[in-house]
Amino acid sequence: MTAPFAIDLRNAETFPTRRVEDWKWSDLRKFLRAAPEPSPALAVAPGGPFAALGGEEIAFGNGRDSAGASEVGYVARGRETLRLRFVTDASGTGHQARATVEVEAGAALLLLETYEGSGSAYVANAGLSLKLGKGARLTRIVLLDDQADALSISAAEVALSEGAVFEQTVLASGARLQRHETRVAHPGHGASVRLDGLYVLGGERHADLTTVVEHAGVGGETRQLTKGVVSGRARGVFQGRIVVAHGADKTDARMGHHALILSDRAEVDAKPELEIYADDVACAHGNTIGALDENALFYARARGIPEPEARAMLTEAFLGEVLDRIEDERVREFARGWLGARLEALS
Amino acid sequence: MSSLSPETVQTVAGLEKYKHGFSTDIEQEFAPKGLNTDVIRFISEKKGEPEWMLEWRLAAYERWQAMEEPTWAKVDYTPVDYQDLYYYAAPKQKAGPKSLDEIDPEILETYKKLGIPLKEQEVLAGVEGASRYAVDAVFDSVSVVTTFREELAKAGVIFMPISEALREHPELVRQYLGSVVPVSDNYFAALNSAVFSDGSFVYVPPGVRCPMELSTYFRINASSTGQFERTLIIADKGAYVSYLEGCTAPMRDENQLHAAVVELVALDDAEIKYSTVQNWYPGDAEGKGGIYNFVTKRADCRGDRSKVSWTQVETGSAVTWKYPSCLLKGDGASGEFYSIAITNGRQQADTGTKMVHLGPNTRSRIISKGVSAGRSTNTYRGLVSAHPKAKGARNFTQCDSLLIGKDCAAHTVPYVEARNSQAQFEHEATTTRLSDDQLFYAMQRGLSQEEAVALLVNGFVRDVLQQLPMEFAVEAQKLVAISLEGSVG
Repeated sequence: MTAPFAIDLRNAETFPTRRVEDWKWSDLRKFLRAAPEPSPALAVAPGGPFAALGGEEIAFGNGRDSAGASEVGYVARGRETLRLRFVTDASGTGHQARATVEVEAGAALLLLETYEGSGSAYVANAGLSLKLGKGARLTRIVLLDDQADALSISAAEVALSEGAVFEQTVLASGARLQRHETRVAHPGHGASVRLDGLYVLGGERHADLTTVVEHAGVGGETRQLTKGVVSGRARGVFQGRIVVAHGADKTDARMGHHALILSDRAEVDAKPELEIYADDVACAHGNTIGALDENALFYARARGIPEPEARAMLTEAFLGEVLDRIEDERVREFARGWLGARLEALS
Repeated sequence: MSSLSPETVQTVAGLEKYKHGFSTDIEQEFAPKGLNTDVIRFISEKKGEPEWMLEWRLAAYERWQAMEEPTWAKVDYTPVDYQDLYYYAAPKQKAGPKSLDEIDPEILETYKKLGIPLKEQEVLAGVEGASRYAVDAVFDSVSVVTTFREELAKAGVIFMPISEALREHPELVRQYLGSVVPVSDNYFAALNSAVFSDGSFVYVPPGVRCPMELSTYFRINASSTGQFERTLIIADKGAYVSYLEGCTAPMRDENQLHAAVVELVALDDAEIKYSTVQNWYPGDAEGKGGIYNFVTKRADCRGDRSKVSWTQVETGSAVTWKYPSCLLKGDGASGEFYSIAITNGRQQADTGTKMVHLGPNTRSRIISKGVSAGRSTNTYRGLVSAHPKAKGARNFTQCDSLLIGKDCAAHTVPYVEARNSQAQFEHEATTTRLSDDQLFYAMQRGLSQEEAVALLVNGFVRDVLQQLPMEFAVEAQKLVAISLEGSVG
């Protein structure tokens, strides 16, 4: 796996091709051969999709915050909410930004991370370092809203301390190439990780959700559920890897990826990987790809529900399982609204 | 015991574990060491091949030289020095038609020790009701004998060494050779295409159900020798054949290369069942010696409703790189892959399958059971893909890994690519360790620890063992137990 921050938009040599194993289904070089021109400065009005949830706000406009910095740090010490916004309004240009977020021991942070793209054919690259102290809790919601012809890359490395809890839900709607990568260093010892994802793709959009969790210590837990639906000529990619290091006994890791393909020209590629170097573990993954269950559809129609509505209902129920796992009710409701609107846009 | 050196104790223990580790001392003929066009010409001439075959080999050699050895598998080994190998080794024998009497008694003795019946009457004299099977025995680079040929010929089945098929049925060989695994498919396939020496050729005519099990027994004997066999099996419309291969080699400190290519072609309504019990010498407990098993196996299910079933029991080899695959082209074609891979000591196995759904209503099923013990590494790597035209494609995959001990590793690397809305793919994988409770229970009933492990592991792999032809299932079950000796405690 390429390190999360290996891509530097100023240097075309760092753009992976599909010959790089971890980018085999997302060929960046195919769309981006040379370093893009830098994007112009952009002033961002406060707010964003999660404005109603309040909290602190850090906003990058075309890769720079209000002070002109492309690297920003934040430390959470109590129970806090942070809206971290990567706002783009650019055409044919590129920019990148880095953020470091630390949640101190015993603190709790709700991180609402949004990618808000307008303009066209831009290239956006974001890198995040997330650190959790002992017993800290980080709930990360990632909303990827990019233009259909954009290239959007976001990579995060997450380091947990003992007893920390990291929960993540990624909502992706794709772009020409949208890649979201999360790498978690899992220390075990009571720490727990939930990594969820949802993709709803139409047109010719492409979304790639890639995760790597490395269990280094005893007694770690990981739960992963990613679901997606693709239509038109869209392509969904899921790559999940769980590594259990030598000695990381009593690790309990479960990974699931389930996708629906609605059109004959759409595609789903999946690679759920287990790499195990310890013997006292319970690891499992499941992967299903297919169409809606005809029996369920028949049942719904037999109850007098017209076919298009029955399909919409079943699709929403299928994907909704991911959102049910979001604990914060306001966020969950927001995500449901997002999903509903996305599904409507598909049909 | 105290008077014995630890090395001796270890050697003796090793001997018991790998009972096929002896070598046969006979006079052999070699090609000059190393690989170049002269060696390829030498092999081709030795086989009395037609001109087109030599050209095919030379073209393959040229392609191979431009290729790079693949490094993506999760295996780590000392690179092979391709110029330090013999590419052809054959027991010296008299010219003329082959009959058992003319074969070097040492070789007959070797096969007898390995438990392979080469005398047809021996097979016939077996237990009443026991099914008979025909054997093609390949010793280093040549086939030494093929049994039951006449009886098979009566049914119209051609079963002979591929070198002979090249002379007697050149049109069939030319039509199908390289049509499933192209010359430049991969590094080892290209190498094999250039230097392959022998292997089996099977043709089952339309509507014929092959009257007996066919099998090939591969034996590497000479040192510093690579074995490059080539097997080609064609089941014509409505035909059925079941084929089994077994492999062993002497215990040597050096690593020996085995790079085979197996091509299967199934036409309309044909079925091929291909079973492998691979027990090449795995090297000693410290990882010294053993076979590098770099094999390309692929089935082309061209015909509608054709079916190919791969079953493999992989217990040997120091390093295994092997992915028996199915190209499912015909309407309603189906492919199956049942695998048991057991690694112990310092063995490394990277094995799995590819199910490529190209035609409509194609089905595939993958059941893989990996067992890692000692300091070994065992990887399942597989691909299931559906082309846009493969409407109604179905796949079910189950990969289970069992870990025995703290220092082994088990990996699962499945690739799934679905390109139409009517494909239905399901994949499940689990990794667990041998349960202490079950072990305790079995031992409390009076089994020794090793017996208990063998019992539990045999239970774990049962779904696959059931797919083997009966007489080999028993053998495989014993092999499972032997492979895991010394893995616990």
